[in-house]
Amino acid sequence: MESARHVFRVLFLLLVVVVIFSVGRTFLVPKSYGAYGPYRFDNVAEQAAIRPPQHGGSASCGACHAERLKAVAAGAHRRVGCEVCHAPLARHVQDGARIAAMPVDRSFTLCARCHRRIEGRPAAFPQIVLAQHQGGVEGTACIDCHAPHSPKL
Amino acid sequence: MDETQSDAPAPAPQPAPEPVGRREFLSNALRLGGGVLVFLAGAPALGEGPVAEGYDWTQHRYAYLIDTEKCIGCGSCVRACKAENGVPDGFFRTWVERYVVSPEASHVDSPKGGLDGFPPIQTPFTPTKSFFVPKMCNHCKETPCVQVCPVGASYRTQDGLVLVDAERCIGCGYCVQACPYGSRFLSPTTHTAEKCTWCYHRVTKGLKPACVEVCPTGTRQFGDMRREDDPVRLAIAHGRVSVLQPHLLTEPQCFYLGLDKEVR
Repeated sequence: MESARHVFRVLFLLLVVVVIFSVGRTFLVPKSYGAYGPYRFDNVAEQAAIRPPQHGGSASCGACHAERLKAVAAGAHRRVGCEVCHAPLARHVQDGARIAAMPVDRSFTLCARCHRRIEGRPAAFPQIVLAQHQGGVEGTACIDCHAPHSPKL
Repeated sequence: MDETQSDAPAPAPQPAPEPVGRREFLSNALRLGGGVLVFLAGAPALGEGPVAEGYDWTQHRYAYLIDTEKCIGCGSCVRACKAENGVPDGFFRTWVERYVVSPEASHVDSPKGGLDGFPPIQTPFTPTKSFFVPKMCNHCKETPCVQVCPVGASYRTQDGLVLVDAERCIGCGYCVQACPYGSRFLSPTTHTAEKCTWCYHRVTKGLKPACVEVCPTGTRQFGDMRREDDPVRLAIAHGRVSVLQPHLLTEPQCFYLGLDKEVR
């Protein structure tokens, strides 16, 4: 049985390698790795909870500003969300409590982002050329004449 | 052998079994060992739970629809994305490009990704058409970015998003180069790859991505292909949609309506 000693020696070596590998793998590979593919599945849940949603949508604004929301919904800006011109809900309300005033931008720049005539906009979209508009000067507030929440043309 | 044995005057004693040679033994042992290692490596990990409370990711498969003919280039989406996801200055998870085209020449610009909207533009040629094209990660089905990731940090979820595990990412930037749409960048703060997540923290709560939420013209739409009556699913099924760079066979899940041939 001289050869058996060699067999056992090699088998022992193999066993040591397997044990080192499994122990090493347990420590080095994250728990959920490979659950659904070659990635760490736990990260999917982490991404889903990475931060609370910042934008609430116009409906969330309606919780306090129902009248305003109704007025907007009846006008030409009905498809423009409140947060487009103001700011994300999270800057105004957090956990149901008001934390800061909502920014109100009354500048020409805000309106111009959508309504200044520039190359690229669909022709049917209402746009103005400032020079041909009431002898307008850049910087003059559009909202002196147009109601921003329900503009009439 | 049998014939020679039967001819022999006396039955030869059974030959002793051939001893296993060292070479053969070692090669068999290695094969067995290798097999064990492969088995261990492939063993599925445990601990699969829901992605979020009340959210089953097998019940959704998202798709995005962009109607370029409606886009007015206001940049609300770019600003919303920045606010929603804290995108670092100078980098964009979504951006808007302006194409000014004539039969002879074309000009593309995207000042600050469209973050502050677009200024009037003068081109050295007389444009015959011009339009805006919002762009972002296409969340491809056969995405090159996931294929090149050497550490398994990029992956595609069962509900159809391509995400980056910042904890695994080593910031090698292979995926940034592999993406044919330029949708990824290395974050200057974390030094890991960053990209559009279709606002996974929102969609898993039943909300729309921030860019879709704020789009004032309905250019950007987000839908669920597993919902029979989903407007985006119907638009993709019935409308004439196209994708960016279809020749690359990446199977983007961002579909475009009214895409011009100039757009890449």
